[in-house]
Amino acid sequence: MGSLLSCSKTSRLLIKAVLSLAVFVIGLMMITPFVFMISASFKYPGQVFVEPLKIIPDKPFLGNFQRVLRDDMYFSWYWNSIRVVLIAIPLRGFFVTIAAYAFARLRFRGKNIIFLIFMSTMMITPEVTIIPRYLLYKSLHIIDTQWALILPATFDVFFLFMLRQFFMTIPIELSEAARIDGYGHFTIYYRIILPLAKPALITMVLFTFIWLWNDYVNPFVFINTMKKQLVTVGLQFFQAREGANYALQMAGATFAVIPTIFMFTFTQRYFVQGITSSGIKG
Amino acid sequence: MSGMKARGTRLSLKEERTALLFIAPFILGFLVFNFLPLFYSLFLSLVNFNELGAMRTNEFIGLKNYVRIFGDRLALAAYVRSFYFTVIYAGGIIVLSLFLALLLNRSLFLRVPCRTMIYMPYVANVIAVSMVWAIVLNPFEGPVNALLKLFGVPEECLPMWLLGVKSALPTVAAIKIWRNLAFQTIVFLAALQEVPEELYECAEIDGAGWWKKFYRITLPMISPTMFFLVVVTIIGSFNSLALVKGLTGGGPGSATRIITLFVYEQALRYSYYSYANALACLLFLFILIITLLQWKAQKLWVHY
Repeated sequence: MGSLLSCSKTSRLLIKAVLSLAVFVIGLMMITPFVFMISASFKYPGQVFVEPLKIIPDKPFLGNFQRVLRDDMYFSWYWNSIRVVLIAIPLRGFFVTIAAYAFARLRFRGKNIIFLIFMSTMMITPEVTIIPRYLLYKSLHIIDTQWALILPATFDVFFLFMLRQFFMTIPIELSEAARIDGYGHFTIYYRIILPLAKPALITMVLFTFIWLWNDYVNPFVFINTMKKQLVTVGLQFFQAREGANYALQMAGATFAVIPTIFMFTFTQRYFVQGITSSGIKG
Repeated sequence: MSGMKARGTRLSLKEERTALLFIAPFILGFLVFNFLPLFYSLFLSLVNFNELGAMRTNEFIGLKNYVRIFGDRLALAAYVRSFYFTVIYAGGIIVLSLFLALLLNRSLFLRVPCRTMIYMPYVANVIAVSMVWAIVLNPFEGPVNALLKLFGVPEECLPMWLLGVKSALPTVAAIKIWRNLAFQTIVFLAALQEVPEELYECAEIDGAGWWKKFYRITLPMISPTMFFLVVVTIIGSFNSLALVKGLTGGGPGSATRIITLFVYEQALRYSYYSYANALACLLFLFILIITLLQWKAQKLWVHY
């Protein structure tokens, strides 16, 4: 009996080890392109494809990174991306949370129907409306400015939904007690709800950062001047300009993925929570 | 009594005013940036704005733009291409993510670093990863084909990947699967963790094997999540413009000219604004029909 038990225990351990190895191999396969990218960015131009392929080059070459850093255009694109993200996050943070507070806590006529209309537009793929948006922004004179990216991002229905759901889980007694003490709704929103909603807010900041940073279609269509572009579209221009210099291309690509991967690695918990709690974007 | 009621309505009136103040900016922004484009699109598709500078005429031509689609072989081919892409992408990602979620749901060594690695492509810049894949899959110099050659695949059988007329679209779909796998996996994983452990224990007592447990317990229990994911994945599959622009630009030939790329080109390259909007509205109609059909069909396989 005893030996039978221990036998099943070792076999279970063995299964666990085999499955762990399988998942680890899958994980390695998933990041292979990144490994290749970083490795190639440290190689001399022309050495990228030399066989046998070496992950760590014999003599790491920093010239690619230096060239990217000294590239005026690349620097502007990078800076533009940072600026768009830094302006959009507080704007979205304010307008979305205050509306979410009203939908979660206040009674007013037409609340449900308005919310339903908001939600129904989430089913529309944004790429379907790219042309009318282009013409509309043109008549609003925001084409070729960063406002064509920032303003639409400010009024985001997806995060309105997510934050409303989160605000509703905060015990109503807290706001009621504050009401009895004579506090207004703005104070309650600012002093009670927002601090308690920190996990949801972090999730929003994280996803706003990632999606805006990686957005291609909007800047591609709405920004025409190359100097005003963001890093994603700029990178494509960079790729075309640098033609066959793959090592340099990879250095440019490496810089472009660093911010989001860095953020993701340290906030993975919020990332997973954000997707499981509402998960709409696919 | 009546005094209290009056006080109550006064309070709720005040509450309503506060609410209006709080939501007014959002509603205004929503109307301008979300709602208006929808109606504008529909309007444009019904007028004759098919050249630059014709904006002012706005001549109403009914469904002519829509009729034109059915005589346009290139447009019809682009729709078909998009649906083909959807089938490969949605089918592939649902199966793979479920498989991965089943693996990740077990106790594993190094589970956290493995998860980080698997989720990483999801947050990486779309053009950056396109550039890497274009080099990695380069049929003549790239490391993937070099590896295949090493394993003895004869020169003439090496896949052309993104440069092959037949292989380009499936390759783009595969790269989109790689990039988005995290989302579906995380949602599946959350659903798997909700399945009560007792159900499996009961089944084990009855002597059920792995497959039976999966088929009889896991699948029915996660079917609502699966339904949600299928719907969302199919809608998301039509958002592939960035990846296509980054990887192939529509080529080779027209092999990856999906409908959203076609719409974009019709409008911003040839200035057929109305025609492009008719194409987009029709696509939206197709997506709506697909979603409604799934909604009807869920009775057949989704257990609530």
